[in-house]
Amino acid sequence: MASSQLPNYLRAHRKRLGLSQDEVAYLLGAESGAKACRYERFSREPGFRTALACEAVFQRPIRELFAGLYEQIEREVAGRAKKLVLKTGQMKPGKQTARKRETLAKIAAAKPKKPRNS
Amino acid sequence: MTNRTRQKNDRILAIAPSSRGFGFAVLEGGATLVDWGVKSIRGNKNAGTLKKVEGMIALYKPAVLVLEDASAKGSRRSRRIRKLTKGIIAMAESRKIKVALLSREQVMRTFFEDGEGTKHAIARILAIRFPEELGHRLPPKRKPWTSEDYRMGIFDALALAFAKQLRKK
Repeated sequence: MASSQLPNYLRAHRKRLGLSQDEVAYLLGAESGAKACRYERFSREPGFRTALACEAVFQRPIRELFAGLYEQIEREVAGRAKKLVLKTGQMKPGKQTARKRETLAKIAAAKPKKPRNS
Repeated sequence: MTNRTRQKNDRILAIAPSSRGFGFAVLEGGATLVDWGVKSIRGNKNAGTLKKVEGMIALYKPAVLVLEDASAKGSRRSRRIRKLTKGIIAMAESRKIKVALLSREQVMRTFFEDGEGTKHAIARILAIRFPEELGHRLPPKRKPWTSEDYRMGIFDALALAFAKQLRKK
């Protein structure tokens, strides 16, 4: 599934801050700049702790730093929400079911927002 | 979910070959600078440049590749760079990437109404437009007895990308 955005914008943000890959790797708690390079070249996805460290380093929300990845995950979640909406149709009608359907419909209809990168 | 819809991107990759290697800029959505820099190539410059550009195409998957039209009337690019431009065009087309060629005059007209300007003036405009990214990379104005600063490659490439973006609108 192709995204209109790149999986992440770590390189742009790093260059904007004038940091080297080694410096970013050190800040992220990695051993060498090679790991930062792999993230920037989309050959490796960082773990949750590293992703949060990225947010701390670049001072930008994760969904903006990993815009393409977020877009892809959001689309997948929306697809699953659609399936769940269909399932709730078979449930006993009530206030809670209505609330659930409303929430799921919102998730299913979510359109990826274009994050601000500049 | 297996959604096979392919969303179109509006990324532009611009390459500005130079005597040392090449400058490059990746512009997204007309306002976001995704990557920029200069690459120095040793040994066979054309083969080295082609390899690096190929890698960039694979990484950024641009919608358009922009190059200076080295065969335009009045172009003073060297024979090596003309050959390299042809090589890059052939390589991009084989990967089904659209190629846009802009002459120096077209780029100048994008930035100056009368088309009269200098590379340094364009670089200054771009440094003001992207202060965080390029503000500190603007080289000093070249003296008649000095050769061009290698960082000008970034501004040349970005000028091409910007010109392409503005001409699209």
